[in-house]
Amino acid sequence: MAQQRVVNGELIDEATLTLEDLARACSVETDWVVERIESGLLADGSPYVASWRFTSRDLTRARRLCQLERDFEAAPELAALATDLIEENQRLRERLRAAGLAAD
Amino acid sequence: MEFKDYYQMLGVAKSATAEDIKKAYRTLARKFHPDVSKEPDAEQRMQEINEAKAVLSDPEKRLAYDQLYQQYHSGQDFQPPPDWDAGFEFSGRGFEEADLGEFSDFFANLFGQGGRGGQAGRGGRGSRRRGEDRHAKVIIDLADAFHGATRAITLQVPQVDAQGRVVSREHTLSVRIPRGVKEGQHIRLTGQGSPGVGGGPAGDLYLEIHFSPDSRYRVEGRDVYQTVPVAPWEAALGASIETPTPSGVVKLKVPAGSQTGRRLRLKGRGIPGQEPGDLYVELEVVLPPADTDKARELYETMAHELAFDPRQSKGS
Repeated sequence: MAQQRVVNGELIDEATLTLEDLARACSVETDWVVERIESGLLADGSPYVASWRFTSRDLTRARRLCQLERDFEAAPELAALATDLIEENQRLRERLRAAGLAAD
Repeated sequence: MEFKDYYQMLGVAKSATAEDIKKAYRTLARKFHPDVSKEPDAEQRMQEINEAKAVLSDPEKRLAYDQLYQQYHSGQDFQPPPDWDAGFEFSGRGFEEADLGEFSDFFANLFGQGGRGGQAGRGGRGSRRRGEDRHAKVIIDLADAFHGATRAITLQVPQVDAQGRVVSREHTLSVRIPRGVKEGQHIRLTGQGSPGVGGGPAGDLYLEIHFSPDSRYRVEGRDVYQTVPVAPWEAALGASIETPTPSGVVKLKVPAGSQTGRRLRLKGRGIPGQEPGDLYVELEVVLPPADTDKARELYETMAHELAFDPRQSKGS
């Protein structure tokens, strides 16, 4: 059997995503991302679009917002509220697990 | 390929109104949304109901699907009859190209870019377009984050065959997982997403990293926590012990007078990175069983010789 070539990837955070990267990764237009940043629902964006860079955490959050808006036809603010609660829940579960208290 | 009963998937009658479908979808989406659901097959069920909704909430797709629905039942072997969709115009999108990677072959055959249904709504042939980005989760061991690893990832990729049908092809990639990766972090594999259209470049593949559960370790960010059992005399008198950690066996100095729950920090011994995490070792004093005469005698000697009441310090 032929040996398979090993593919090297970029670790997001060491390399960050541009606005266009993030929009493509979420299958949305860049305007969708810009609107959510300007509304304070996504990332801690600076006012200068050209300098926006996004991390793994932003990607996870943007995809979650996008799915909640799509699946429940939710208003962006409502999707962001649900996302905040999900993220908080995950943080608390992680801390419970780290403290040796099973959360699942 | 099996025929899919989208009405059954959403739990609605064939006569269901658009409002009924929306309501059923929202109820199921709440139940199976992977972010909140505890159902083991939540992700797959969510994909199924998304697919059913993409068809049944689009009047044109639903009308075309209903023509087939009269002739087939759920699970029946199915190939789209020639010109099955003649006379229908699928102008509404209702789904993203990226969904094709998640939706079933059945859907992709009927409504994907290779199916006749997909072509009317896609701006015609010959346009050059970049392929969609795709996403997958990868489960690795915690030790892989310390040392790096290579993992084989198998993905289902929708492709158009020589007959113009959409078929699902297995695509296996061998991926290098870099040292220092964290839970929830992404790795981008450029050009490994969906193929481009009309000579356009392929999309990217994003891998989301998760650690397989390991009862020995708990992780928070880059910090790692583990419990290490120690004998009572090691805890009382202090000791130098060896213990396995995700980065290998380490020597650990147990301070004299330690109790269960005492936490020792090994700075920089957590997940590697520009700012490496710490490893927290929590001591657990384990009593030897009093299951021999000698052991019982030792416990009795301690009981007589040591003025020790563990409840005194608790105020009882």
